[in-house]
Amino acid sequence: MVIEIGHFSVVIALVLSAFGIVSSILALKTRNVDWVRVGRVSLTSIFILLSIGMASLIYSFLIRDFSVHYVATTSNSQLPLFYTIAAVWGGHEGSLLLWVFILSTFSTIAVWLHWRTQPTIMPYLIGMECLIIMGFLLLILFLSSPFDRLIPAPPDGKDLNPLLQDPAMVMHPPMLYMGYVGFSIPFSFAMAALFSGRLGEEWIKVTQRWTIFAWLCLTTGILLGGYWAYYELGWGGYWGWDPVENASFMPWLVGTAFLHSVMVQEKRKMFKVWNLFLIIVTFSLSLIGTFLVRSGVLTSVHTFATDPERGLYILIFVTTIIGIAFGSLMIRAHKLKSQVEMDSMVSRESMFLFNNLFFLVATATVFLGTLYPLMVETWQGTKVTVGPPYYNTVFMPIALGLLFLMGIGPYIPWRKASQASLKKNFLVPLVIGLLATIILFTLGIRSIFALAGAFVVGFSGAAICIDFGKISSLYSRRASVSFLKGSLSAFTSNQRRYSGLLTHVGVLVLVIGIIASTVYQTEKVVSLKVGDEFIIDDYRVKLERIHEVRGKNWSAQEGVFEVYEGDSLLTKLRPQKRVYDASQTPTTESAIYAKNMGHIFLTMPDVSPDGVAVARGVINPLILWVWGGGGIMGLGVLLNIFRPRKRDE
Amino acid sequence: MGSKNKKVSLIISILLVGGALAYLALGNFGENLVYFFTPSEVKAFSPDYYQKKVRVGGMVVEGSMEAYADRLGMIFELTDGEATIPVTFEGIPPDLFKEGQGAVVEGYWTNQHKFQSNLIMAKHSEDYMPIELKRAGVELPRKDFMKSLIQ
Repeated sequence: MVIEIGHFSVVIALVLSAFGIVSSILALKTRNVDWVRVGRVSLTSIFILLSIGMASLIYSFLIRDFSVHYVATTSNSQLPLFYTIAAVWGGHEGSLLLWVFILSTFSTIAVWLHWRTQPTIMPYLIGMECLIIMGFLLLILFLSSPFDRLIPAPPDGKDLNPLLQDPAMVMHPPMLYMGYVGFSIPFSFAMAALFSGRLGEEWIKVTQRWTIFAWLCLTTGILLGGYWAYYELGWGGYWGWDPVENASFMPWLVGTAFLHSVMVQEKRKMFKVWNLFLIIVTFSLSLIGTFLVRSGVLTSVHTFATDPERGLYILIFVTTIIGIAFGSLMIRAHKLKSQVEMDSMVSRESMFLFNNLFFLVATATVFLGTLYPLMVETWQGTKVTVGPPYYNTVFMPIALGLLFLMGIGPYIPWRKASQASLKKNFLVPLVIGLLATIILFTLGIRSIFALAGAFVVGFSGAAICIDFGKISSLYSRRASVSFLKGSLSAFTSNQRRYSGLLTHVGVLVLVIGIIASTVYQTEKVVSLKVGDEFIIDDYRVKLERIHEVRGKNWSAQEGVFEVYEGDSLLTKLRPQKRVYDASQTPTTESAIYAKNMGHIFLTMPDVSPDGVAVARGVINPLILWVWGGGGIMGLGVLLNIFRPRKRDE
Repeated sequence: MGSKNKKVSLIISILLVGGALAYLALGNFGENLVYFFTPSEVKAFSPDYYQKKVRVGGMVVEGSMEAYADRLGMIFELTDGEATIPVTFEGIPPDLFKEGQGAVVEGYWTNQHKFQSNLIMAKHSEDYMPIELKRAGVELPRKDFMKSLIQ
């Protein structure tokens, strides 16, 4: 009964989304504010109705109502409570509902938040958001409903995929979706600017926090996914250029380009068409990403069943939104000529331009690699995959270039930089970058990736530190306070800038982690019996015993491995080979010990009946810098979002 | 410098950088493509294909799996119902790899008419959540990709 209430609510939400679109059009035609109010009521009601829809689905999972088809396919009576809730978005039906629920939440918040200050934008915002919501609701209700009944009900459910029974996986999809959906707000404001012809800088200033919030969510989502892959899939790495990962990486890349290039428009009133283009591409890629993953199109490469109807609908929907967006951009583009021109090649503007160029080439690369197999399969019928080496060769120089720009861009003046200022700002960082490279080289490091990485990280890190150090000491001298206090007041004096630079520092830390854990990873695979040991790096690993352990919905063979450094026992690691009860699916659970900011990572992929275990050990140096860098990036973004408002904002 | 000159030099430098990056992105593309075949197609390979990395998908023949006694790995047979090919595999198979189930192997077809592989992607027979399972299925290629950075 409860699930029908949810279903019915979502049906009404669909009707209201059409109503919201119509009322927005009427508002624009009649110039009557009442129609905008009707739109606002529709949107708010959609939010409430979709909340009911979500609640009814969660409830059905909690009472384990296996007469609901979706509940029966993604959960099981023995599934722990925590994962039972996560199972709501464990399959594509539920995750699409979560997507549109987040969309309705964000758009309702945006409408109420900007209602007073942005009255003219409202009809466009409401109309656009309702259109996207409608597209999703049609898909959910007619092609991918989580509310369908399964009569007669099975005695028990099929269970949630064991790999998804993991804390990081619980948060990964919602964070990604909040990122995708968050970009819909600046997108809608951009569309409003295009439709209304109010093409100033206002839409960018209003949506700056939305953009950076969406970016934070997307970044967190991607990092969580990497973290999950790292310890759950048991291969000891975190990024594999899998099409599913690529789908979330593309909007991130363009979104990052966008949040940089808007600064040029704010400060110099340039890049107007370009910024509109970027946000349209960002949101389009968010839609494409969702649909690529959720339609099952991508999996067709590996011959899993797909639903052609859903694929076709998705294609039409995405094409419609993208068509509307780019169509209106083309019609308006002539009105958007910059009043100012680029003054010099060596200026902050041109650095932003190159930043954008790098990010877009990166996006195009991922796009090509992800979609080329689909195109080939569609048109030629041959199946093909693009290997990770492709992405690595292309991304390495792009990443290094971007990191280098990171050290230049923020310290080069707008308009035109003089030779003297270039020398003053960049001579010391250049020397430090070179020193870092030379030191690593003398330490015996010969990987080009690591050496080039050391140069750019050293250069950019030095540029950031030197500049902030100078400002801090200036502030501390002026107010005659300690250096620490001075740096604090320097930070708050221009929090937007320095929180951004803090995020840059996070990126540098992350990159150090990636380089170290990639280039200097050691791996060893051995088969051994109880009492045997093997050497990996500086450690001696001994299999002490293998025993059975039992979890709530799984049983496992657990290997107890003693890790010695020299003669002293460092730790005991307990990797498992699990079999989940309901699906009888085996999984390999890793065991990890952190040391010197790196990981000793151990899995036991196989135990034969006669007691011979296969063990795989991986040493990942500085891997904690990857997640730590991510944390610093997040902190920088939070300080940006929650900075005190300035008068001109 | 005149304003026209600046514009020209800007455009030229964008074209140069963009062109270099585009060359990077497209120049490597072809050689990194890995094509997918069925066992029947593999059997019909001409010698030109012997050095090409390919993927082959099929069912693991029941009773064909035999682990090496002295090292990690195994031999097994892969079939598409029409043709069957022998596969020699070195490494750790994924969790879901089993006889009678579907699997995709990556490697080379040799002149001894054996398929040499060090990468298996297993498929799940149940139909739920193919996407995540696919992620799981590709656990092994990830192992190698970062390493390729060093080369």
